[in-house]
Amino acid sequence: MKQILLIAWREYKQYVFSRGFLLFLVMFPLGFVAVSAAIGIAERTKPVRHYVVYDETGVYTQAIVDEIERRRMRALLEAWDLYAGAGMAPDADPLPAPFAPDRIDDQRIAAFKEAGGLDAARAAATDRLRAGVPPFPEPAASFRLVDLPPEAANAESLKEAEDALRPYLLEEKTVSTPEGRKTVFAAILIPRDFSAEDDAPPAQYWSRNLTDTLLEARVSRALNDALKRERYETLGVSPEDIADVEAVSAAVKSFRPDRAPDEAELGLQDRIETGLPAAMTYMLLVIIFGVGNLLLTNTIEERSNKIVEILLSSVTANQLMMGKLLGIGAVGLTMPTIFIAGGIGMSATIDTGGEESVATTIMNTLFSSNLLAVYLFYFLCAYVIFAMLFLAIGAVSNSLQDAQSYMGPVMLLVFAPLPFMIMVFQEPNGVVASILTWIPIYTPYAVMMRAAADPPMWEILGATALMLAFGIFLMRIMGRIFRNAILQASPPKMREVWRLTKKEAA
Amino acid sequence: MSQPVVLLENVVKRYGAFTAVNDLSFQVEQGEIYGFLGPNGAGKTTTLRMMLDIIQPSAGRILMLGSKSAIPVRARIGYLPEERGLYKKMKAVDAISYFAQLRGMSRRDANRKAMALLEEFGLAEFARSKNEALSKGMAQKVQLLATIAHDPELLILDEPFSGLDPINQQTLEDLIRNQREAGRTIIFSTHVMQHAERLCDRFLIIAHGEKRFEGTMSEAREAFAQRLHVRTTAQMEDLMALGDVAAIRVEDVSGAETTFEIELEEHANPQDFLARAVAQGISISRFEQAGATLHDIFVALAGDEEDESQSAGAMKEAAE
Repeated sequence: MKQILLIAWREYKQYVFSRGFLLFLVMFPLGFVAVSAAIGIAERTKPVRHYVVYDETGVYTQAIVDEIERRRMRALLEAWDLYAGAGMAPDADPLPAPFAPDRIDDQRIAAFKEAGGLDAARAAATDRLRAGVPPFPEPAASFRLVDLPPEAANAESLKEAEDALRPYLLEEKTVSTPEGRKTVFAAILIPRDFSAEDDAPPAQYWSRNLTDTLLEARVSRALNDALKRERYETLGVSPEDIADVEAVSAAVKSFRPDRAPDEAELGLQDRIETGLPAAMTYMLLVIIFGVGNLLLTNTIEERSNKIVEILLSSVTANQLMMGKLLGIGAVGLTMPTIFIAGGIGMSATIDTGGEESVATTIMNTLFSSNLLAVYLFYFLCAYVIFAMLFLAIGAVSNSLQDAQSYMGPVMLLVFAPLPFMIMVFQEPNGVVASILTWIPIYTPYAVMMRAAADPPMWEILGATALMLAFGIFLMRIMGRIFRNAILQASPPKMREVWRLTKKEAA
Repeated sequence: MSQPVVLLENVVKRYGAFTAVNDLSFQVEQGEIYGFLGPNGAGKTTTLRMMLDIIQPSAGRILMLGSKSAIPVRARIGYLPEERGLYKKMKAVDAISYFAQLRGMSRRDANRKAMALLEEFGLAEFARSKNEALSKGMAQKVQLLATIAHDPELLILDEPFSGLDPINQQTLEDLIRNQREAGRTIIFSTHVMQHAERLCDRFLIIAHGEKRFEGTMSEAREAFAQRLHVRTTAQMEDLMALGDVAAIRVEDVSGAETTFEIELEEHANPQDFLARAVAQGISISRFEQAGATLHDIFVALAGDEEDESQSAGAMKEAAE
């Protein structure tokens, strides 16, 4: 056992204490922060885009302005809620409505404005913020309506306005804006007969920028809503009633029939419980792929560097194999463990106003049930099954090039269940899930995906027994290939590999 | 008499239809330097691997340090394989210490011993260098030190001199002698006869997987047909008529004199042969009894096999 641990520790140390691994550990979160910061900076420094509206009807400009303002307020409230959630001191009184984080809808936006807007919100938060939290920065507006240039304002027709605006859109001329003289990002032209009628002429959206379609979408939504409101009015519905209808939002709650009535409502924990298996399964796939490559290159190194015979004079081939499995398996678990621990650490510093954070809920889900034990067990089974394949490939290859011919089929095996995993996720007790459960190399994936969906116990126990039997069989066969091939100076040909599975092949 | 350190009885190793080692028996005593000689592909490495239980014999019995398998006594054995390497990214001191720990030493003792050995062999300043930064000669020394760091009672060295420069060859010879003086038993395989002749107390010649000879150098010479170098004016027929001549050939002709190489029959006495020549009035200007070198013995015993066995045997051994 001492020898197995020694080999495992050497393998572990070689990878985990390498500069590359440590650098990755530091760079990964840094990269994450850097990307988030870059997105934030990009958002903040995005220039205000100026647009003009030539509206022959004189009624739709306001609809466009209102829609853009509504969206701006929604984005502002989303940012505010995040800020208020993370920045409040733990012992502070909760913020009063509408400043407290809550659902964002038109009523809350109106109430927020009514209560004094952002200035009032900042004032309400001042005494409640934890020490060192900076004041909330107001997100810059994305779009701003500016006055039409005189030649367009005086245009007699849509065509004339279009011609007059063209130089501004082509950046040949600028308009006066609060930010100084700027080019026009987009021009919206609304013809006199614009209406909901089928033969009515369309509104026009002019812009040189074809990739940023946000403003186009906002305009389209605004005009759409405005025309609908007109139609309601022609049908005799009062503006109050229209507003009332638009504020309607259907409340749907989800319940689980397998719970007591007072606990049946689906909460965040339930959502996580159903989503976690998928996350764990994909993590398993990634780890197996990464760790498999480590095992492969490492075995090839020992073979091609002629270290293996010295090792085999000190330990048995089985001890060598077990040491490698253990050491490299630990490498595979180190990265997710560090990130999960880091995630818990970070989530612990964020106050969510008495409510459980997502990270806390994930932890509770994992630790309050036997899910973690189930995951760990199947995780290890899957690891051993695939690791044995990689070890055997390493033992019959003198170089990565030799290994390539075996890697193709093995990689196909590793990733083959991916397309079916969606089906298992959506229907954890369906036919596909059952079939995958009974294929020993996919039993771990399938059972992990199904663990939270109470699959039939007999099926899980039966498939697990089959998987264990298959695992032991595979360990014996692959172990023989490893033992028989590892000392051969030249790698065996593919058709000779079967011979190595026999006991006396060496 | 104490128990032999190594005992092989009728050991056979077959790979399918090919027999790599056939009915091999020998034993090595405590404190000996034992040479394991044979041409390439003779079955030396296969035998050493069987002794270490890295591979199992098809038949026969092996006792290592009194144990039926080398596995329980591996900590008492040091093995330097013919094909050897080091982890490139490991430091020299760590590599020596790692292998010593694998062979049962505590981490602390292994580290201390590794450092002491590196100092003793003039490599102290490279102790913290990665193996990939060492010269070939240094790396070979590190491999050797990794083999002896755990103070094994029995050292098994497979072709230890191959690839070494003359200075390192001398270092290795000294090390082998020192180890013997410290009471250890050393078995080494080689096909370079000079080393074996200088170092071995006893040796075994193996060819085509079979034992051809086992014994001391003097035993080999005794068993080996005696050769004479005789310069004379007499003719070949005159010498053959003296009797006991198994073979005769002309070595050199110089004026009226000819030098003959004469191989006498087994158990014939060269002095009697000389006396008979003098009695016959044969004029002899040189009479030299040639001592057979290990090289002669090796070529005579294993050389004939080399050509035919090397192709199949060497390929098989190389494949292992």
